[in-house]
Amino acid sequence: ALVVVFSPLPRLRGLLQRCWGRLERGLLPGFSGGQSPPWGPALAVQAPAFLPEPVRDTTESNEAPSLLDSILWMAAPKKRRTIEVNRCRRRNPNKLIKLKRNIDVCPECGNLKQKHVLCGYCYAKVKAETRLIRMEIHKKEGGPFNAPTVETVILYDGEKPTEKHEGKRIIERARKRPSWFVQN
Amino acid sequence: RWLASSSLFPLSCIHTSTSLQKFGKWEKKNWVVYPPQLPGEPRRPAEIYHCRREIKYSKDKMWYLAKLIKGMSIDQALAQLEFSDKKGAKVIKEVLLEAQEMAVRNHNVEFKSNLHIAESMTGRGRYVKRIRYHGKGMFGIMKIVRCHYFVKLVEGPPPPPEPPRTGFDQAKEYVQQLRSRTLVNTL
Repeated sequence: ALVVVFSPLPRLRGLLQRCWGRLERGLLPGFSGGQSPPWGPALAVQAPAFLPEPVRDTTESNEAPSLLDSILWMAAPKKRRTIEVNRCRRRNPNKLIKLKRNIDVCPECGNLKQKHVLCGYCYAKVKAETRLIRMEIHKKEGGPFNAPTVETVILYDGEKPTEKHEGKRIIERARKRPSWFVQN
Repeated sequence: RWLASSSLFPLSCIHTSTSLQKFGKWEKKNWVVYPPQLPGEPRRPAEIYHCRREIKYSKDKMWYLAKLIKGMSIDQALAQLEFSDKKGAKVIKEVLLEAQEMAVRNHNVEFKSNLHIAESMTGRGRYVKRIRYHGKGMFGIMKIVRCHYFVKLVEGPPPPPEPPRTGFDQAKEYVQQLRSRTLVNTL
């Protein structure tokens, strides 16, 4: 019985040979494909590198290989997609970036903002101030799990605690009250 | 004493001019000097060419942003880029702001909003090949992709968008083509 050592498909073998040749010539001459079979890495193969039944009788090889027609045979492109076809697909209007019509000007700072989103500049401003307040709170508490059960009131320069802030915790901030932080 | 030192070390006082980088064609377009305009001619609008080289982004992905901005006024372009989620949007925004700054400082542009984008293009940068490790000892070769971005700002309001070609226009052109046929190789 004839024992076929490698894949009977000349196209697959040629592709793998070309890939391997390019790799060997190019990048790392010392680096081999590891324990892969000697005819190249399994890059984009439509069939597995070795067939499940390499042993074939001469009589059987004449008829259409029925085992190759089964689920192991993958879908593959028949022809190369031309650049014209590629361009039609890539430049189709549904792939182009759509114009945004929901950009406005923030009335507070004058930067641009999206209509349904907070202004980025104003949010960053508030975030910075909140961070400083939280640092003051941390200094006052002195550790984790020390949060009091009463409300907190933040007072800026020149503000005295009134009878409204009776049982509440006072946090002092050593700066002028920002215009956006309204005192109630 | 100063002359004596120069004679002792003749090379120390020579100022050697070093060029920063190789200037491409786009950068050289800014150095074009036109002859002064005659009194009757219409005013030539200022053109500013700017580019950024070797941006770590794909030229195909950058092309979508370049196509978005083409033909817009600079303010509208900056607004669109600010709220775009793409990585290249940030880079292009920086390039546009730099170009706007250059226009006002060096190219005698009066109002920085009075600019529009005449051309915006991407080009391929230098690719580097690297190995991408797969399982089972397999490997593939990946390309580290870079691109260039070119923009040309022109002073003045953006040109009105041309109306899309309708069927009626196409029919009219076809009839015009038929009517303009002549007999060849005859009297």
